Amino acid sequence: MTATSNTPQRKSITPVFVVLAIAALLPAIITSGFQLRLVMLIGIYTILSMGFNLLYGYTGQISLGQQAFFAIGAYAFSLLQLKAQWSPVWAMLASVGMCAGVALVIGIPLLRLRTHYLAMATLAFGLIFYGVAIRWIDFTGGSTGLAVPPLVLGDAPLSRVGVYYVILLLLGLVLLLHDFIIRSHIGRALQAIRDDETAASALGVPVTNYKLRIFVLAAVIAGIAGMCFSMMSLRVDPSMSEFRILVSILTIAVVGGLGTRFGPILGSIVVVLLPQVLVSFGELETLVYGAFILVFLLFMPHGLSGLLENMRWRKFFRAGSSDVVER
Amino acid sequence: MTAKTIGHHAILKIDKAVRRFGGLVAVNEVSFQALTGQVTGLIGPNGAGKSTMFDLVTGLRPVTSGDIYFRDRRVTDAPPHTRSPMGMARTFQIVRLFHGMTVLENVLLGLHPKFPDGIVRALFSSRALAAQERRARDRAMELLEFVGLASRAADAIGHLTLGQLRLVDIARALASDPTLLMMDEPAAGLNDAETRNLLNMILALKARGMTMLVVEHDIDFIMSACDRIVVMDRGAKIADGTPEAVRNDETVIAAYIGRKAANATH
Repeated sequence: MTATSNTPQRKSITPVFVVLAIAALLPAIITSGFQLRLVMLIGIYTILSMGFNLLYGYTGQISLGQQAFFAIGAYAFSLLQLKAQWSPVWAMLASVGMCAGVALVIGIPLLRLRTHYLAMATLAFGLIFYGVAIRWIDFTGGSTGLAVPPLVLGDAPLSRVGVYYVILLLLGLVLLLHDFIIRSHIGRALQAIRDDETAASALGVPVTNYKLRIFVLAAVIAGIAGMCFSMMSLRVDPSMSEFRILVSILTIAVVGGLGTRFGPILGSIVVVLLPQVLVSFGELETLVYGAFILVFLLFMPHGLSGLLENMRWRKFFRAGSSDVVER
Repeated sequence: MTAKTIGHHAILKIDKAVRRFGGLVAVNEVSFQALTGQVTGLIGPNGAGKSTMFDLVTGLRPVTSGDIYFRDRRVTDAPPHTRSPMGMARTFQIVRLFHGMTVLENVLLGLHPKFPDGIVRALFSSRALAAQERRARDRAMELLEFVGLASRAADAIGHLTLGQLRLVDIARALASDPTLLMMDEPAAGLNDAETRNLLNMILALKARGMTMLVVEHDIDFIMSACDRIVVMDRGAKIADGTPEAVRNDETVIAAYIGRKAANATH
């Protein structure tokens, strides 16, 4: 039986490389520091949202505590360099380990909970972390936070473009991992857990084990995003674990499309750039922004990704030749 | 589906299984066996405990006491997700397919235990993995051809009828290459044509040597599909034998068929 010819094959990795290539060329076009900072922010939010996308979009396990891991990554990265004089690379690896450790410790009890109970528990974790970060002044610097030493290349601090490429490298790694998981049998198993845990386990998917692994991975990814943020802004303070960050993650999920391959990128572009465009509305900015999000919720339940997928190429091909129309 | 040798030894043994829910004894010291290459039916009137019995065998619920053996291994306490790799596959009465995925992807899930476990291991075998994924897709496609749904491979689950969903469920269970296929009321909610199609499918699987355990409500269906029938009533086993023997068993007639026969003649 040769089913090969008409068997739907798995998705191609090409779009990921296209995205990374575009991102690598951007500093050649963008000259102003402000604009480069916006692009870095898009990258950082993309990283952060990819963890959330794997955890909630694909596996169906909500966490409203991702902003805490975002801050833990940054604090650990900063403190290990400041107080222990570790090199940035070792500090980065240790911070990743720390995020994983914390996620493991809270994940084992919390992942027994489902839906809104899990949401409440992870939110509580986020709030507790914020409380500690702001009050433990001796260690975290309280609300003023800590300065993060700039990355150094040779003797001179790394230029802004240099930092951009460091962030891009990390973004590339996370993006490739995110995409690898989604396109593989593991991504399928995660979606199965999201859709029906009982059926997934009857088919041999170790449900509890997978949930915990993805929770840890999402925390590590959030920590990496946090380190990138502190490399860019050269400081870390409790505002990194504020509600605002969580709202951004959720907005990106809505705008970009939850459980889609490119939702985090598309959502992050909109969430970072839209406020810049809306500045001209002055005091009405927040209102217009809110209305915009509402439009997404009402008319694009699968976000920009869903929109692109639905209208993809169909009209495009119809214009050319009518018999090339994809099903 | 590789043809299994038909030696008719017991592949599944249930030994005095008991399941209590508080004060209610849903399954009371039930013992039976399923023999290789045979279709074993588990029937009984509503509330007989057959669905609970099925949950005990598939590991969805633990037994209160008693034991379950599969291929001479004690699996009484084995968690559900470890049973598929051992060769036990099941379908669901209330179809439990994955709605966010296509028909093909649903069947591919049945092949999950054959893939490397864990992200890191998968990453380091990505070349072999790509080949494995292609093979898995072809295998899943073959199974969809077997159940007659190859043309729907790329469709969303939501676009299928109940009869088709049952077939996808069977294809998904078969994907793990099971030695025992357990079906929970596969004919429930199907129309006559769909039921006949399903019966033919079961007989075709049996011809290939598949061992099956079928829980069913539909007595005609079970009589034509099964080699042996276990009858339960109010939590206890009341009969165990060939369809002929069970059909003429007085206890069974009194408990189950009698009621139906009485209804039919009046």
